[in-house]
Amino acid sequence: MNPAHQPSHVLGSAVTPTLAQPDRPAGAPPGTRVLRAGSLSVLVPLRAVLVAVAAGLALAAAVVWSAAVGSFALSPWEAARAMVGQGTPTAVLLIQKIRLPRIVAGMLAGAALGLAGCLTQTISRNRLATPNTLGVNEGAALAILAVVLATGNSLGPWWVGPLGGLAVALALLLISGGPGTRSYRFLVVGIALAALIDAHINLVLAQEHITTATAVFAWTVGSLAGRGYLVALPVAVALAFLLPLVLLVGRPLSVLQLGEEVAASLGVPVRRVQVAVMLLAVTLAGLAVGIGGPIAFIAMAAPILASRLSEPTRVPLILSGILGALLVVVADTLGRVVAGPVEVPVGVVASILGGPFLLWVLFRETSARGF
Amino acid sequence: MELVVEHLRACYDDVVAVDDVSLRVETGQVVAIVGPNGCGKSTLLRAIARLHRPARGRVLLDGEDLWSLRPKEAARRVALLPQSPQAPEAMTVADLVRFGRHPHQGLFQQWSQEDARAVQAALELTGTTELAHRRLDQLSGGQRQRGWLAMVLAQETPVILLDEPISMLDLGHQVEVLCLIRELAAKSGRMILMVLHDLTAAARFADVLVAMRDGRLVAAGPPREIVSPELVRELYDVEADVLPAPGCGAPVVVAHQRRLAALLASRAPG
Repeated sequence: MNPAHQPSHVLGSAVTPTLAQPDRPAGAPPGTRVLRAGSLSVLVPLRAVLVAVAAGLALAAAVVWSAAVGSFALSPWEAARAMVGQGTPTAVLLIQKIRLPRIVAGMLAGAALGLAGCLTQTISRNRLATPNTLGVNEGAALAILAVVLATGNSLGPWWVGPLGGLAVALALLLISGGPGTRSYRFLVVGIALAALIDAHINLVLAQEHITTATAVFAWTVGSLAGRGYLVALPVAVALAFLLPLVLLVGRPLSVLQLGEEVAASLGVPVRRVQVAVMLLAVTLAGLAVGIGGPIAFIAMAAPILASRLSEPTRVPLILSGILGALLVVVADTLGRVVAGPVEVPVGVVASILGGPFLLWVLFRETSARGF
Repeated sequence: MELVVEHLRACYDDVVAVDDVSLRVETGQVVAIVGPNGCGKSTLLRAIARLHRPARGRVLLDGEDLWSLRPKEAARRVALLPQSPQAPEAMTVADLVRFGRHPHQGLFQQWSQEDARAVQAALELTGTTELAHRRLDQLSGGQRQRGWLAMVLAQETPVILLDEPISMLDLGHQVEVLCLIRELAAKSGRMILMVLHDLTAAARFADVLVAMRDGRLVAAGPPREIVSPELVRELYDVEADVLPAPGCGAPVVVAHQRRLAALLASRAPG
């Protein structure tokens, strides 16, 4: 080989010894600390931990604020005290029996939506692919609606939502052929399914008596009115089981960001991970819909905000969950207080705030790319 | 080490893309797979990389069937760089290269001294140490491709597969990347198989050429021995002269104008 062809920097790097960076003697990637025990090692991403703690504090503040405001207003301090059973009996009763159960239900729904959105966005490598746009939320809503109307109960059993979402996800996978290589197709088929099921929901409502239809309508656009521990408990238990699984797929999922081919050649069982992620996302979204109906935009916004706040190599699952909970609590509280005695459903508030948010994301991304 | 491809056959539904191909590659060799579009060269690479399951035949590395291994075991033996890989925006070169260590890591083996050493070595070998903390989307095409090569190197596999590693690059960056590939095979004791479109570049930089057409092996061997006007005609239906390059003597393919003239004549009005 002719040395004249050799680029000078290849030669240069071969003779220049690279000095180890003094501030990272163990060679840990920047912004991380390595915890070691024998041959075991865990990377602690400092920034991710810091941001998650900050988001957790913001969530706590939102919970106190949400408990304090409303037709019977308390100071944040009174509200916080009432949560642990101190203060006037009225305040304790109001917070512990009415406001807090609803806040907890909203937090769980938001966390499940945030996690589900982060999962679907990452495997399809498309920010628009969320349980909401893919029809999973709508499928869960239709299934729950059918059960509610058939039994006359105001709630379906908790597993109906995930089953409805799963049916849509199966149809989606069969028609589109998978999330990764044809992500555009995956999304378009999902949007078509969502529209179709939405029309079905309206059709079902139109055939009901006006009083029944009105009672159920708010829930079909996403509402937490009257929701509490009864619907939240099964979801809390399910989340406790699903969360370790979500964290387990986090590592292979971060490799999948490099595309299916690279991930496969790095030893990721791509198909298995994709199926597991879809199952998890659908179950989480279905559970969330069981609580508050198909609340729009949370599953899209929470992961976008989360990835803005974290390093590009990580899939910010935990942070998406925390921010999802935060967004739902804030949106629901705004819905309770902005229009006075009339309550605006959380789904409507989320949509009103979500539109401008989406535009902001689009403008930011196009201006960052310079076109 | 020795990679042996035995009577490999790979299909897409009913279409046979690779038919009865056998190969033998040794450590230190750079092999270029050439041929017209749709000749099956990329499918052959994908079958070796375990992205496309062969209908028949085997891929053996030192006698071990690659398709019988678990994903991570295989990923410690064979690395693949696809044609136009995509990374999330805002990722740096060092971020990318660290992903190359994934097959050597586990849920509770997330970062070892070995990982740190391999990443640094890969950056040094590809001359990207200075670029390590630069964002991929702010690099030139050639720099970015060196970053991806560094990721593949950090995987520390005896076999490296490259699917058209220079197809998106201008001549300067093509030479830069091909020189680097040569150097890697010699210095780091890997065997490198790459799909290339440019026959002259392949003849100039590879130890062994593998020429395919219609899924079959047409010729395999050192470029100087197999590149001839007959081979070019057989592969591409093009009449060409094959000249020795001044200096190194590698065969240079110069296509005749006859086909072009015929094409222009057929398009002429009237």
